[in-house]
Amino acid sequence: MHAELAPLGFTVVAVALDEADAAREWIEAAAPTYPCVIDADHVVAERYGFINVPTAIWIDEDNRIVRPPDTTPANDLFKDFTGIDSSVHHDQLRAWVRDGTLPLPLDAVAENQNPPTDADQLARLHRRVGAFLRRRGDDAGAGEHLARAGELAPWDWTIQRGGMPLTGRDPFGQEFFDFVGAWNEAGAPGYKWGNAALRRDLATGD
Amino acid sequence: MTSITILDDAHATEADATVDGDRVLVAASDFAAATGWVLKPEGLCRGEVCVPVRSRPDAVADGRVDAAAVAPLLARTALVDAPRGVVAYAAAATAVSDALADRRAADFTLPQLDGTPFTFSAIGRKKKLLVVWASW
Repeated sequence: MHAELAPLGFTVVAVALDEADAAREWIEAAAPTYPCVIDADHVVAERYGFINVPTAIWIDEDNRIVRPPDTTPANDLFKDFTGIDSSVHHDQLRAWVRDGTLPLPLDAVAENQNPPTDADQLARLHRRVGAFLRRRGDDAGAGEHLARAGELAPWDWTIQRGGMPLTGRDPFGQEFFDFVGAWNEAGAPGYKWGNAALRRDLATGD
Repeated sequence: MTSITILDDAHATEADATVDGDRVLVAASDFAAATGWVLKPEGLCRGEVCVPVRSRPDAVADGRVDAAAVAPLLARTALVDAPRGVVAYAAAATAVSDALADRRAADFTLPQLDGTPFTFSAIGRKKKLLVVWASW
């Protein structure tokens, strides 16, 4: 995708919400030709209101956001689980880069952001301090701050699932599936425009 | 005086501070090194921007900056863990919400895998797909 569209004035920027050691093997295996940065402190999540991965947002030549944040898998590996057809986003992306076509009017782009509350930002700070304390070897302090982060932002996957490896818990284990169950019962709170069917309707003009 | 750590975005900086219960007072020169905000007679300044501190007399005392009280003046949210000697700052919710409502993309500088810093705005006039991912 990047190689196809880069000659048209386009680039991907990939941000890993991870410790460097956790992201390393994935980046080295992908050997990307676009910039990849490590965001162990979740600065990008804090500035854009991102609450899950993978999430994408489009930013134009003038550094204005032109597509709201959305869950955007690179492929259909988890299509049965997420219900998201990755080709919808990819076709929208090609249209934007080639002729500037946007899938949403700009006022709707502004309305479909995910602005944080004070509690969200405080949760992110507790997560950040927890990650820092773990790096410093203070596992008890890390656990305390990550637990508080989870109380403040119970449906933020970057905090709940992303915090599991920081406290020796398995992000692919039973605790994660219990979290998904509770999250579904709560109505699967996520991005406002995070609905695959809606995206398909908009993409096809139905 | 004791040594604390200030986490500002992705930067961790050691600073001298006085810890009094939950209150952390940071030496102004160290606060400047950690956050870029310099204490001057006209207030706290970063580049051309100066923020008066008179409205929050508790924010600055005797050449020291109250780590928590100063945050709202700088459109930041603070988390102070005084017993562990850690102070962390994030953009205040209102500042982020205003930027997103205006569709302004936040700039950031973060390390690449080899440690080289990368600044988002340095890409310049291109269309950009910003993707966050994780191994978890």
